[in-house]
Amino acid sequence: MSAFRAWHLPPGFPAIPEEVLLPWDGILPPLLLPDLSADGVRDLFSSLREAREEALVQRPVGEVVEVVDRVARRLLEPGDSLREEALAHLAPQAGYSVPMAETVLGGMARDWTRDRLGRLLASELPDPGMLDGFRPAAGNRRLRALGHPVTFHLGAGSVPGVATTSLIRALLVKSAVMLKPGRGDVVLPVVFTRGLAQEDRALARAVAVAYWPGADSSLTREALHGADLTVVYGGDETVRWVRDHLPATASLVAYRHRLGLGFIGREALGASAAEVALEAARAVALFDQRGCVSPHVFLVEEGGAVEPGEWGRLLAGALARLEEELPSGALSPGEGAALQQLRGEAEMRAALDEGTLLHHGGAAAPWTVLVEREGPPRPSCLNRVIRVMAVADLEGSLTWIESWRDHLQTVGVAGLGDRGGVIAERLARLGVTRVAPLSGLPWPPPWWHHDGAGPLRALLRWTDWEEGGTTPEADGVPPPDHR
Amino acid sequence: MTSPDPLFRELRETLVDHFRRDGAGLLDDHAFNDLALRIFRFQCRSLGPYGAFVRRRGVEPDRVARWEEVPFLPTAAFKVASLMVESPEGAERIFRTSGTTSGPERRGAHHVLDLSLYREALRPTFRAHLVPEGGYLPVLSLLPSPSHAPDSSLSFMMEEILEEVGRGEGGFFVDPIGGVLTGAFRETLNRISRGGSPVLVAGTAFAFVHWVEAARAVGWRYELPAGSRIMETGGYKGRSRALSRGDLYRELTWAFGVPRERIVNEYGMTELLSQFYEPVLPGSPGASRMEDSDREGGVHGGGESSMTDPSETTELAARYHRGPPWTRSLVLDPLTLSPLPPGEVGVLAHFDLANLGSVSAVLTEDLGRKVSGGFRLHGRSPGAEPRGCSLSMEDFLRGVT
Repeated sequence: MSAFRAWHLPPGFPAIPEEVLLPWDGILPPLLLPDLSADGVRDLFSSLREAREEALVQRPVGEVVEVVDRVARRLLEPGDSLREEALAHLAPQAGYSVPMAETVLGGMARDWTRDRLGRLLASELPDPGMLDGFRPAAGNRRLRALGHPVTFHLGAGSVPGVATTSLIRALLVKSAVMLKPGRGDVVLPVVFTRGLAQEDRALARAVAVAYWPGADSSLTREALHGADLTVVYGGDETVRWVRDHLPATASLVAYRHRLGLGFIGREALGASAAEVALEAARAVALFDQRGCVSPHVFLVEEGGAVEPGEWGRLLAGALARLEEELPSGALSPGEGAALQQLRGEAEMRAALDEGTLLHHGGAAAPWTVLVEREGPPRPSCLNRVIRVMAVADLEGSLTWIESWRDHLQTVGVAGLGDRGGVIAERLARLGVTRVAPLSGLPWPPPWWHHDGAGPLRALLRWTDWEEGGTTPEADGVPPPDHR
Repeated sequence: MTSPDPLFRELRETLVDHFRRDGAGLLDDHAFNDLALRIFRFQCRSLGPYGAFVRRRGVEPDRVARWEEVPFLPTAAFKVASLMVESPEGAERIFRTSGTTSGPERRGAHHVLDLSLYREALRPTFRAHLVPEGGYLPVLSLLPSPSHAPDSSLSFMMEEILEEVGRGEGGFFVDPIGGVLTGAFRETLNRISRGGSPVLVAGTAFAFVHWVEAARAVGWRYELPAGSRIMETGGYKGRSRALSRGDLYRELTWAFGVPRERIVNEYGMTELLSQFYEPVLPGSPGASRMEDSDREGGVHGGGESSMTDPSETTELAARYHRGPPWTRSLVLDPLTLSPLPPGEVGVLAHFDLANLGSVSAVLTEDLGRKVSGGFRLHGRSPGAEPRGCSLSMEDFLRGVT
């Protein structure tokens, strides 16, 4: 397989002459890197800043949506050269199996199509036309919404497609984009941007994608200084580093590490228990559990027709079957080492008969199900390693997930019966930003309040034009009654 | 204290005899295998949880023909079970892992039934690699003393070395909460620098980084007598990321006047009573091999500064670790746990006969490659990024503890 070129520059930007082959120790194949200097990054930002007006600001948002939609459809169209290129590189570069890469590409690109983007705009803005000019709004004023001129996106690399989504969000609010994806998410943004350039050369002048190793580098520092807004996806360490190096005048949107869990209520542990287990297994298997939406623990209620231990066995069976449909990617040695430690510790617990049950894919596959009776809850080491915790009742277990509140994002639910409202309310108070059925867990819709905030609104700046002044009369607010 | 079990006593005598003979090659593969299997069967029988673990893996102890087929116990199991061939209450000492990554409540514990096995195993190995010319020299440890760190197997080891190699001359120069005792350390260094006899300085990479930062800031620089040497340990766990190994060694040379060729890395773990060293000093077992062609291409020094001397990078990359004759190491496929061919990166597993009183076959979390004579530890590659966006256990626990 040919090495992948990990960058795409705006049309017309001088080519970067040298390419560097990055040797790679783990399981990922080599990558061709742009030999960028800090000066080169500075030039890129100037070029993006200059291109933005014509490429984005002067065009209606509907046109931007149309161009993105055309690229998305090509990525979904069997046989299209763009899709072929993406699929040729996605699996090896992301460390996924081929069927997984196809599933991820399909799920991601679907969210970049016209209908989904239209619904995203409609849910984020009272009138999407505000992205094109002033529009009347409540409060006796006109509103204009526009993204920051140039944005820098620092991707995490865990789930392919996430960085491209970030890029598209910025284009919708007419921000120029410089994107440095993470190692495992290099392919889609490069291929997507190439598609953009093929479909609409003018628009592509406002987008650059380039990978370089490590987040904490002089190139990243230069980029942080070049951008008006930085969007970072990454671990707590990366986010802290970015915060420390950001100029005082720049804005930051940070998507930190998050994790998910599942609540399986008694009502789901009857006739439908096996079906629920399959949905749960799919939520674990997708993205090989590397997504922030991926569950780490299922809390399973005792007292249903199927007890938690038996449900764990059903889950294990489902994970084993999913290895055929959605095989696991190869483990890096470090991931394998962590997996062996986890399995070994659990085997020892099982040998000591501490109520621990263990099922796993042995030498054939990394999936591992650990059924435990009591806490403390621990996050998974990923790659389809899931804990099943038996709990007397779900309401009672809400207190111990409190210790996860800084990182908790998604809770998948099944079988809550009429307790759904009460539990959702308590999860909301704990800071959970998404409660969803297990089947929908891996695919939050584009308009989900990403980590609790509007995905486009987080990127916007508003201008209020108080045309008629804001006296109480003009606002339509009655004067205060002083009697 | 030693066990009343006659089989334990017999095996212990055999081992101590090997330790004292101090010679490589005395335990050839055949003899090692025989002794390893006897010990394995003894441990399966006497150590309930390990026996149960072995049976869960579908292995019948009496049917195993080669030590490589023994189920290697992951070190994480030392966190959940008290692993000793007799009642754990009879442990002479319990060493504990530092718990930096898993939180204090989940530290691994190594119950040591008979400390004399540890003493007998650590001395000849240390001598072979750090004092191959024989004799005695002062031992200065940038570590807390065993009275301040009773859980630390490393502090225990260095106290033994202080007695045996230093004949009491030297000491420990880190206080109980981890700071370097600069006053006492400097006074000792001053005194030693004025004399003409070489010394040995030992410490963790973490403590050395601490020291050289302070020393750089205030200009404390020593020229230790020719022939002095440094033992550095624990630099591979990613804690002192700020300094690459090459940079650290260059700083150590600046601070102590000890050249890189006299800085030896020790790789040991709480769960094992034997240690692994880089054969670096002339005369240490395997040291001549460092000259041969076992160095690989594809070494990329991305973490090194631009001032790196290429021969330094090559020399450090060619180093490897070697255990004493009563240990064997394997590099295993991380998923299938089958042995990997030389050169491929996998998980390190060690069979340590000195672990007679607990579990001898231990699977580590460390990565490495097999090379002739030992293994090469595989550090984090520059630019490697964790693949999970849902966070790693380490990140998480750092956040909550």
